[in-house]
Amino acid sequence: MPCPEFDWKAYVLEELPAADAARAGEHALHCPACAEELERLRLTHAALVAVPDEEPPRRISFVSDKVFEPRWWQRFLASGPQLGFASAAMLSIALLVNAFTRPAAAPPVPAPAGVDEARVAALVNQRLDAELSRRLPAAVNAALQQSATHSDRQVKLALADFEKKLEFERRADLVAVEENFRLLRERLTRVYVASNTVGGE
Amino acid sequence: MIFREVEDRDLIVKARKGSVDAYNVLVSRWEKRVFNYLLKLVGDREDALDLTQEVFLKAYQNLRKLEDVSRFTAWLFRIAHNEAYSLLRKVRPDGELPEQSDVRGNTPHLLPAELNLAVERALSALTADQREAVVLKVYQGLKFEEMADVLGCPVSTVKSRLYTALDNLKDVLAPIRRDARS
Repeated sequence: MPCPEFDWKAYVLEELPAADAARAGEHALHCPACAEELERLRLTHAALVAVPDEEPPRRISFVSDKVFEPRWWQRFLASGPQLGFASAAMLSIALLVNAFTRPAAAPPVPAPAGVDEARVAALVNQRLDAELSRRLPAAVNAALQQSATHSDRQVKLALADFEKKLEFERRADLVAVEENFRLLRERLTRVYVASNTVGGE
Repeated sequence: MIFREVEDRDLIVKARKGSVDAYNVLVSRWEKRVFNYLLKLVGDREDALDLTQEVFLKAYQNLRKLEDVSRFTAWLFRIAHNEAYSLLRKVRPDGELPEQSDVRGNTPHLLPAELNLAVERALSALTADQREAVVLKVYQGLKFEEMADVLGCPVSTVKSRLYTALDNLKDVLAPIRRDARS
């Protein structure tokens, strides 16, 4: 009986960690029972792998059919970076349009005497910046999320549609093949009957 | 081997974007392995070829659902496993796999004929689960974890099936192989 602490099957199947394999190999040199077990497993493995793989009777390939290829908008929607870039570009355009079409600001009201105009302007700018940095990320995130949800839905619909179409075409092909075989069989039968008739005369 | 994995990964990414040419290269790399796996499961060349075609069609349709590209091998063989068992359930409701004796009928033998035949007989004497474990490990070179993914069971079950199969095969094949060698 081989020593139970050594997993000789894992050893032969090369599933043991290197250190364990080295320890097991060393042990087999001095233990006749383990050496015998190892030898039998190696012979078994060698017998199995000596049976060669077969070549497939025909090669499998897929035709570069337009049906298989996604449309331009499917490729576009499938690309995360492109979609993100498009969303950012749309947001920039919206900001620019808003900046140029905003109604002209009312004429500045003269500041009351004793008020430091520069200080007021600095305060206003500071508040504007703070408000902008608070609202802008949330608005961008919301726009991106909405865009992603929308595109996901579109992709799912398009994929379902595509799979349905593919299945339909596959079935149509099968029917056509079956029909062709039937015609071929009929023709062969006719040829066979004709050859029998002519051969008999 | 690492270089090859990187190349497969590239092909998968391209195929996901709709490149049929990239997918065809991927198919040409894997068709022989998938075909031989299915042949050993269903025992009929034409069935194995039809199933191989079906496997690659399904793989193409579902390529986008493959989350981890590095697990492509296990994912592909899982599809093949499901296809094979779907066919076997139709033709053999008891779920038992066919005898393998006619599988290699026309293949030129590289070994003495009796040894080749002994391997076929020994494999066909195993249960379906044990035989599939041997095919995935010995002929396809999958790791235990990958086999567990393909078969949808724990690694411990995979090892149990494989080890029992090896014990049975060892009793039959080791003496014959030893005789053939001596």
